[in-house]
Amino acid sequence: MTPLRIALSQGTLLADTRAALAAAGLATDALAEGSRRLVVPAAGVEYVLARPSDVPTHVAHGSADLGIVGKDVLLETEADVLELVDLGFGRCRFVVAAPAGSVDRSFDEYRHLGSLEVATKYPRVAERHFQGRGIQVELIKLGGSVELAPQVGLADWIVDLVSTGRTLRENHLAVVEEIAVCTARLIANRVSYARDRDRIAALASTLQAWAAGRPATAS
Amino acid sequence: MRGALPRGFRDILPTEARELHAIERSLMTTFARHGYVPLEPPSVEFAEGAVTVDERRTLRFLDRDGRLLALRPDVTTAVARVVAQRYRDADAALRLAYFTPIFREEASMRGSEREYDQAGVELIGDPSLRADAEIIALLATALAHCGLPGVDIDIGHVGYLDGFIAELPEGPRAAVGVAARAGDLVGTTQLARDAGMPATRIAALERGLRHRATDLDGPRKDAPAASCRALDALAALAPLLEAAGVGGAVRFDLGFIPSLPYYSGIVFQVTVPDLGFPIANGGRYDGLLARFGADRPATGFGIAIPHLHQALVAAGWQAPSDSPLLILEPHHDDATTLRVATALRAAGAAVAIGDVAEHAGQDVRRARVVDDAHLEYEGVVRAIEAVVAVLAGRAPR
Repeated sequence: MTPLRIALSQGTLLADTRAALAAAGLATDALAEGSRRLVVPAAGVEYVLARPSDVPTHVAHGSADLGIVGKDVLLETEADVLELVDLGFGRCRFVVAAPAGSVDRSFDEYRHLGSLEVATKYPRVAERHFQGRGIQVELIKLGGSVELAPQVGLADWIVDLVSTGRTLRENHLAVVEEIAVCTARLIANRVSYARDRDRIAALASTLQAWAAGRPATAS
Repeated sequence: MRGALPRGFRDILPTEARELHAIERSLMTTFARHGYVPLEPPSVEFAEGAVTVDERRTLRFLDRDGRLLALRPDVTTAVARVVAQRYRDADAALRLAYFTPIFREEASMRGSEREYDQAGVELIGDPSLRADAEIIALLATALAHCGLPGVDIDIGHVGYLDGFIAELPEGPRAAVGVAARAGDLVGTTQLARDAGMPATRIAALERGLRHRATDLDGPRKDAPAASCRALDALAALAPLLEAAGVGGAVRFDLGFIPSLPYYSGIVFQVTVPDLGFPIANGGRYDGLLARFGADRPATGFGIAIPHLHQALVAAGWQAPSDSPLLILEPHHDDATTLRVATALRAAGAAVAIGDVAEHAGQDVRRARVVDDAHLEYEGVVRAIEAVVAVLAGRAPR
């Protein structure tokens, strides 16, 4: 039988991901810290280590059967994949944030100018959110350090991913609104799910039971 | 920009074009043998007419009258329009087949094509399970005749999920359906729980969607009556598929939920190993045609030809060749060359004069024109008829 190929998110999710896979009885020794290998064979499975935002792409195209990735990435990439299990770890929130104490002033400005400038790394999530709210915004896509934008006058608000909120506080930003709570998910390619159901269903059930038995953790 | 094309469009070069034509001939022949007659819709529709495709995924433009037009994003829209205009009051079933390019807008950098061939059939006016079985058997037969071995057909029923959803209050009902069709099974159960679905029902739904049913009795446990009726339909379908000769290729999968919202009953998809996308899918869509003013039951399927072609090539398939192409080394007298070529073609041979730049994967043979009645073929001077017989495999070399 061909091994199931599982795309894993490199970075902050990897430690919890290893724990989850080990709890499901999969070999994870080969996923040692510091290794540079990107395709890692193990008993019955093959791991593919990818940038988190690329994991849904691999799974959507079938270059991986399964993937473990944050819901935040799924919301932003809008890839056509099946979302099977909420793994509970890597908890973070998509929020709208503004300079502390300036929300009223922003709304005055919105009434005056008819539009707000919003800086974000996640333009699709931001666009969907403000469209749903009926608020007209101009999005400014940044590659990182989005918290900087309101401080230097680049944008009125930001949409960003926060886990503890410490970065927001240190940059004098306050949460205006929560868009979504995100945790890591087990995702599957639609064809793999149809063809390899028995193995995938067994793994999904084991991981779901494992996630239900432990408290949610932030990444 | 020399030689460039807009992204998602490409030239189909002769070798592949020959293969696609062979696929088209094979599919349309099988469809015709089952009584399906061809329909050729125009390339352009009014943009607001599209029903099965998100409007953001249609390729749109304004014409000189200021009307917003769309390149045909599917064939179902055209079928619906033709039925509403011309066959609204027909009692008998209508069987239509097509093989035609469709156009879809795709986000850039996803490696997706914006134009590709789709083949399919629609059976309109027959609400019976026999019609569902006919369509599934036709799909299996058409792919087998095409030369594709080992396809698997997963069959589900949207009524199974709908039965659970129907018990929820109206507001969350739609959201649960949207999540399920988007493939978000986490959100599906979470929203259902939030909307007050009892824990036994949630467990039953989760089991039903996750585990492949080895028999259709397991999923009945704790399922609503409406969902059990969907299971009854699948149970009654099984012997019909057996009778139609495709029992071995099918398996039931309640977790198969198509992403399009208009399906109303039995649905199915075809997959092969090592291809991340389904080759074909389809199902019953009673109620869709009513939107065009022709309330008739319907079922059908579409085959994504690029995926079928990919799977065929991966399985070692080659386009069947009628007879080899004979390349004639011309005589110094052009009139003689042309007379010989004409005589050869009249006798059934495929002939090109002078060397050719593109063989398109065909079997190629060479011959030299000797005089009005003779060719030198494989080092031997032979009469035209003798060469034709050798090419056709009727005579020893």
